[in-house]
Amino acid sequence: MGSRVDLLNHAGYREDGRTQHELRDFTVDLSKHGHADGAAAVTHGLTHVLVTVFGPREAKSRAQTMHDRANLNVELTIAAFSAGERRKRSRGDKRILEMAATIKSTFEPVVQTNLYPRSQIDIFVQVLQQDGGLLQACINATTLALVNAGVPMLDFVCAVTGGVYSTSPMLDLTLLEENDVPNVTVAVMPKTGKVTLVTMETRLHVDRFEEIFRLACAAAKVLHKEMKDAVRHRTAELVSAMGAGHGAPDRENTMIMDES
Amino acid sequence: MSLSKAEKSYIQTGLLSNPPLRGDGRTLDDFRPIALETGVAPLANGSAKLIIGQDPHGGGGGTEVLAATKLEVENVQDEGADGGRVVCSVTCSPTAYPNLSPGALDDLQYDMTTILHQTLFHPSLHPPNLGIIPGRKSWLLSLDLVILSDTGNVYDALFMAARAALWDTKVPRTRSVEYKARQSGRNAPKDPATMDVDPEEQSGFATRKLATATDFELADYWDEGEDLGGRSGWPVAITLNLVSPTHFLDASPPEDSAAPQKVLLAFSFPESSHTKLQAIRSLGSGELNVPQLKELIATGEKYAKQLFSALNSKLKEEDIRRSQKARDRFAKR
Amino acid sequence: MITFTSYPTQQDYSAHSSTKHHPDVAEDVHMDLYDDEAFAAGAKLTLPGEYLTSSQAFMRGHGTYVNDEEVIASVAGTVERVNKLVTVRPVRTRYNPEVGDLVVGRITEVQPRRWKVDAHSRQDAVLMLSSVNLPGGIQRRKLESDELQMRTFFEEGDLLVAEVQAFFSDGAMSLHTRSLRYGKLRNGQLVVVPPILVRRLKSHFITLPCGVDLILGLNGYIWISKHVKESDQEGEDGFDAEAVYSNKNDDIDTATRIAISRVSNIIQLISAHFMPLTGAILLEAYEWVVEQDCGTKDLFQDDLGDALITSLRARG
Repeated sequence: MGSRVDLLNHAGYREDGRTQHELRDFTVDLSKHGHADGAAAVTHGLTHVLVTVFGPREAKSRAQTMHDRANLNVELTIAAFSAGERRKRSRGDKRILEMAATIKSTFEPVVQTNLYPRSQIDIFVQVLQQDGGLLQACINATTLALVNAGVPMLDFVCAVTGGVYSTSPMLDLTLLEENDVPNVTVAVMPKTGKVTLVTMETRLHVDRFEEIFRLACAAAKVLHKEMKDAVRHRTAELVSAMGAGHGAPDRENTMIMDES
Repeated sequence: MSLSKAEKSYIQTGLLSNPPLRGDGRTLDDFRPIALETGVAPLANGSAKLIIGQDPHGGGGGTEVLAATKLEVENVQDEGADGGRVVCSVTCSPTAYPNLSPGALDDLQYDMTTILHQTLFHPSLHPPNLGIIPGRKSWLLSLDLVILSDTGNVYDALFMAARAALWDTKVPRTRSVEYKARQSGRNAPKDPATMDVDPEEQSGFATRKLATATDFELADYWDEGEDLGGRSGWPVAITLNLVSPTHFLDASPPEDSAAPQKVLLAFSFPESSHTKLQAIRSLGSGELNVPQLKELIATGEKYAKQLFSALNSKLKEEDIRRSQKARDRFAKR
Repeated sequence: MITFTSYPTQQDYSAHSSTKHHPDVAEDVHMDLYDDEAFAAGAKLTLPGEYLTSSQAFMRGHGTYVNDEEVIASVAGTVERVNKLVTVRPVRTRYNPEVGDLVVGRITEVQPRRWKVDAHSRQDAVLMLSSVNLPGGIQRRKLESDELQMRTFFEEGDLLVAEVQAFFSDGAMSLHTRSLRYGKLRNGQLVVVPPILVRRLKSHFITLPCGVDLILGLNGYIWISKHVKESDQEGEDGFDAEAVYSNKNDDIDTATRIAISRVSNIIQLISAHFMPLTGAILLEAYEWVVEQDCGTKDLFQDDLGDALITSLRARG
């Protein structure tokens, strides 16, 4: 393997002091951002991503309008100072386009776009700092931003990276670890356990794959709890604030048309 | 932002009335509260986050700019320049401009980059401590700004954030290193801690050359070092929005729409000499006559001086707060 | 005057962080936090993917979907059960129009015989030429020349107040301004708030004692203007098109302008704290501000703003 640094030492600790299965510090900030309908700033350790959602709203161009559902538009920008090495990437950079397309295809089956024909939902992902697990952070932040914006979804989408160092599986890899071991990113919908994304660019032995895959799914469920807590906390705050005024109940619920 | 004729007229009449009245009750020269934090990007050599007019009660909003500097080593023979190079770039995040097409966003970015780069990195303002080894190695200073949100007065925010990030930048101290042949004749480098060895320079044995420094090593850890030089010379900018015959500062989006003509003035206040006017730009449509311009420059200088002092105090405050925080954290361990 | 706020720079209203545990251990650690916040203000909260009830017993409404005979929530919000219908109301969402709603909108496009109106909703609304009052009397028939002069009535950027008349098949609203109280807006400024904070009231036209009129659009657009006396509005026969479609503001005195700015700041403060907006609340808030004798822009300061919110909550 030839790593200069021991990614997992004899005592079972990794480079940053975590154990094999330990996830990094995960923070969620759901406060309002600009005029966005929903926003979420998420950190996994030192990886820091901000996602804002605009929509559903009137589609900007006729070409992007679909008569029977909303168009999901994902744009990814990576700050030049986000990594240890400064790198200015243009909008048309292949890596960026690929990641944006991955995010879009992850969420397309999850967002109920059929409810909003001829509309557009813009998802703007801004990477502020990266230390591994970039796709994971982008997906988690996008889920939270969409929920924050009130966009109907079938479930949360929670993502986690996993890798194998010699024979030991590891979760939530830093950049150092990602560069050295085969790793895979998995995104699941926790309620059904359905997997909406599996992506891997390195080579991993088939025997190892199943183990790391299962571990990653379990870890995603842990993240799911954190995400739920954050959303619940924010929703409770807002609902309490609304109820604190002269909260006269408004219209009764009338019968609604079928949305199928 | 589009406004109706009635809305524009309401704003203009308010600005021209006696006393002048703005939509949110501010006076003509009032800025919205500005939030500033330095050292927000630990992977960068210097960084700052600046927000003008953010709702203090968690309502979001405001013009938000993130600025960060990074220093990289260059070979003078290749892309570098003796004494170092500086580049600046502004990125407009689609988050800040959700209604602009990608092409329009690129154009806007380009305009802003040009204005910032030409003003901040004019040769007369070149930081003096960006060289490493004369003729061989130098630093490339990259200043990157990202606009995360725009609710008016973005140029003032950009210049302030840039100044803050540059103020926060520490240039790693370097020590020149020479290679000497050992008695045995083996050509291993003497100093094992040497970084970044240039292959073709490795033999400093060419006896015809004088003994000169061929390489360098870092004297400190990367986050210490000396302040980037020339900080008293960096300018601040002030945008004056014109509603003939008066003007006002820090326009909100409706005010921007109602008074599209602006003048951007950049002043620097170096310690040892006179105030300098570093740049003037006229933005938006409209005509200006020379007496009007002279008056605006004179008034602009006063505003810029206030801004400069306030910004400097805040930056010093931030330095103190952060060193206190670091000390507290160290004490806890 | 240039002021810098003191650190911290931003209140993290929902910053959440904790160390992670092995998946087996994590289960126990998070149990209690979950229970505490399942309810707020008496309403049950839910999140996307959460099971609500069996689809055998209940019909599903907005904010839910059915899978495998289960009704599952699709948004984060409060659960509402009315008879046999279960819905989830999201706490932040774009405006959901209903027929008869009063909205304030901005013209975005002029098309043949209709205008497109931005009403802060999921799709632009439509205002048909046949749905506006034309000069010469309400009963006047539409002429061809009207179609060519649509911009003499409304042009891009104009603000108007209208009522939702009906819906098109794709869900877009159709508006009408066929009342003397509706039409083009002038003599004031606009404030935008989250639509959910505007309750459905008896009347959305409110007059405050300081000489300020408010129009609370259900779509979150609020128009604050100088008060217009009833008697100044024209009667049915003498419909003065010049006045109704004019872009010229009246003369507005300083006191009224200051009052408009004050009300504007109050509304932004209240909506930043996510409190609902009704005429009663705004009236109370304005009286408090006058009592405290504070300057218009002083509301931006933390302490004054917080004091106002606290007093409003206490009275409510």
